[in-house]
This record gives sequence, C-alpha cells and structure tokens, in this order.
Amino acid sequence: MHWNKRAEILPAALLLCLGVVLPWSKYSSAGAIAAAASSAAHGGPRHARFSRAGVEEQPRSSPSPTPPLLSAEAPKRALPEFFVMIDPGHGGNDKGALLAGAIAEKDVTLAWARDLRRQLEERGVPARLLRDSDQTLSLDRRAEITNEARPSVYVALHAAPPAGGVRVYAAALPFATETTKGRLVSWENAQTVSLERSRSVARAVANEIRRQDRRVSWFAAPLRPLNNLVIPAIAVEFASVSRQSENQKMETALASAIAAGIAQVRGQLGARP
Amino acid sequence: MIPRHFQIAIGLLLLSILLIGISLTRMPEQSPASTQLGPAAPPVAGKQEQVRVLVAYDYDQALRWRDAEAFMPEDRGLRAGEAVRSILSQYLQSPSPHPLGKGADVKDVYWIGNDTLVVDMTPQFADGHPSGVLVEQLTLVSLIETLNANVPGISKVKFLVNGQERETLAGHADLMSFYQTAAIHDLAKEFE
Repeated sequence: MHWNKRAEILPAALLLCLGVVLPWSKYSSAGAIAAAASSAAHGGPRHARFSRAGVEEQPRSSPSPTPPLLSAEAPKRALPEFFVMIDPGHGGNDKGALLAGAIAEKDVTLAWARDLRRQLEERGVPARLLRDSDQTLSLDRRAEITNEARPSVYVALHAAPPAGGVRVYAAALPFATETTKGRLVSWENAQTVSLERSRSVARAVANEIRRQDRRVSWFAAPLRPLNNLVIPAIAVEFASVSRQSENQKMETALASAIAAGIAQVRGQLGARP
Repeated sequence: MIPRHFQIAIGLLLLSILLIGISLTRMPEQSPASTQLGPAAPPVAGKQEQVRVLVAYDYDQALRWRDAEAFMPEDRGLRAGEAVRSILSQYLQSPSPHPLGKGADVKDVYWIGNDTLVVDMTPQFADGHPSGVLVEQLTLVSLIETLNANVPGISKVKFLVNGQERETLAGHADLMSFYQTAAIHDLAKEFE
C-alpha cells in the first residue's frame, strides 16, 4: 500500500518539475534577448534589433527580419533568373514628401515605378514591383521581401521638393557593428557584400541620366533599406517641380535612363541572361 | 463712562487691524523657490568660444564650414549639447540654408562609455523635418561633423527622438544605427 502511494506521487512530482522547468527555459531565452539589446546599445550586430521593438513596444507591421545570408557563402545553385525589383518609396500611411503643394510622394513613386517596369520589359528585362498598390510596408519588411526574392538589382524610387536635378544613391555604411561570424551578416551592413556592384549600377544609371542633359549627382547615403539588402541596390531621387505635367515628363525620361543603365550592366550582375 | 479720546483710539486701532488683514489676503503668494535659502544650481564652467559648424546648403547640395560664437561649457556632455544648438540655430533662422521644423532642439545628451554619444532630440526635430534622401543626409552629416569638430573623443553617435528610437529621420535616413564619426567624416567630403 505504501509503495502504491509512491507510485501515484512520482508521476505527479515529475509533472510538477516539468511545469517549473519549462517556463524557466522561456525566461532564459528572454534573458538572451535582453543581452542582445545590451549589445545593440553598444553598436552590436543586427540580430540585436529583434529586441529593439520589443523594448520600446513599437508596433511592427511584420515579424523581426531574418539576418541575411552572405551571398558568397549561400548554398551553390544555378544562376538565378535576372530580374529587377522596383520599390516605389513610401505608401499607405507613409505619404512621404508633399510635392507641388498637394501631391503625395507615394503616388508619384508608384506611377514612376509602373513606368519603369514597362520600360524595362520593353528592353527584355523582367521587373517586379515591391508594392503595386497604396500599401504600407515597413523598411525592414521591404528588405526582407527583397532579400528572399533574390532579384539581380533593387531600385528604390523617391521624389523630393528641394534643390534641383536628380540624385542616384548607393548605400553608405557608416554604422558601428560587431564582426559577425559564419554565414550571418549584420543587418545594418548587409549591403557590404554587394556594394561594389551597387556602385557600378549607380554610375551606369547616372551616366544615362547625364546623357539626357540633366543635372545628376551620385552619392553614398545611409539610406534605408539599401544597407539591409544583400543584392546590388540603388535609389534614385528627383527634385520635383511645381507643374505636375513637367513631373510626369521627368518620370518617363528618368525611367528610360534607369532602364538603359540597368540593361547596360546586366552582364556584370551575375545572373542568367 | 469711556473717555472720548479712548473711543477714537480703539476705533482707529480696529480700523488699522482690518486694513492690515485685507492687505495680507490680497498679497500674492511667494513661491517656495524664492524663499529658499539654499544655493541655486552651480554656475556652469565655460567660456564664449568660436565653434566650427558644418552648415548644409540645400540649393547647392553642399556642406560648408562656418565659424559661430557660442558659450561652450567645459563638461563634454554639455559641450556636445551646445555644439548641436549652434548648428541648429543656423537652420532655424530666416532665411535658412537648410530649413528645419520650428522647435527643433536638443533635449538631452549622454554618453555610453567614454566614446559613444547619444543625442536625444525634441519631437519637432524629426516631425518637422523635410522629407527627402538628400536633406536628411545633410542634416545628419552636418550634426555629426559639428559634434566631432567641437567635442573631443567621440567615435560613435546615436540619435533618439523624444527619448525613443526612430527608424528614419523623415522616411529615408537611418536613425536606428550608431554612426561612426570617422566614416561620416569621409562621407562629408562628398559634399564639401
């Protein structure tokens, strides 16, 4: 009778232990997240950003981004199909700059992106839009979608009121991060692996715009999400004018120059022709 | 029978008590601070100095060094705050070479370790900032270079807005990361 009682108690004790240990292991991973947050406070690597939103309880439109794999160390596969990912800047709740007194930048960039896709396809270059409607996408989400889709080039489009002319950007990476090991690359400096090819694309596009007798400069900029992308990536921003008809002409001409620039460097981008 | 002069004296006494009472109730209350006998905040040690500020010019898409007069405290943190204010004052004047939102200011400045500076800006700094890749980049480079020129020993700078992290300044330039001052110094050369 005495042993029977023990036999009843033992499974109950085991269950009790499991009940204590399982939640404890949960707290241990929370501790790891806190450690990552502390690492971020000292300029730590991107995986630390998993904790940033949590600490601040900021709303996120997407789960935390996955640290991208270094393209050089990614499993060897056949060359991917060449295509261009076009990202019309802003969208949804994020209107961007207010142009010509009343037009939202998000609408200008979407129309411009559709024009660019058409012009690329006319040159036999496949292209996709990162958003093809008035959709809210966080910058992290844009980078995630692009890194997963693995396009050959990423082009972000922006329009802004000040100064004049056109600016073409490749990423600047002035960010402090710890050295990452193995196949992971820090989120802030993910572009490191493609920076040289991005600069080639930026130079080619700027040259094509210059051929149209337009004032164009190319810069390195700490612009998101360029720094979070592992593939060649550029951004183009034009200074809008007050007349809408002039802006539309400008968009069409620039779309043509961007398409010509990309078609020109297509062979250097390591994708299937 | 009370003598007449006594009656007059008592009457005058009561009247004066009444008048004193009325005047006391109408006197404004003195703030506790003004009655404090303890010492006020210690005066900040420092002197009027010529500071070098890197000013952004939107129209020219350029950054140019200028000299400005500012009271620069000896304390590195306070000095950093004043350096940022010196450059902001260039942008908040009218006409401005690089207009910023009214109310753009430094809320707080603090150090992580000895070389990482965190600058907490007012919400108006970001909310009222014009949106655009170029203008946002010019702001960040101008602020970081001005800090680097006037406060010794900064190797990394991070910006907060109203005590919180922000993804970007106004939709483009990264505000999440820690900027390395050496790399920003190289970037600034593109615009000088």
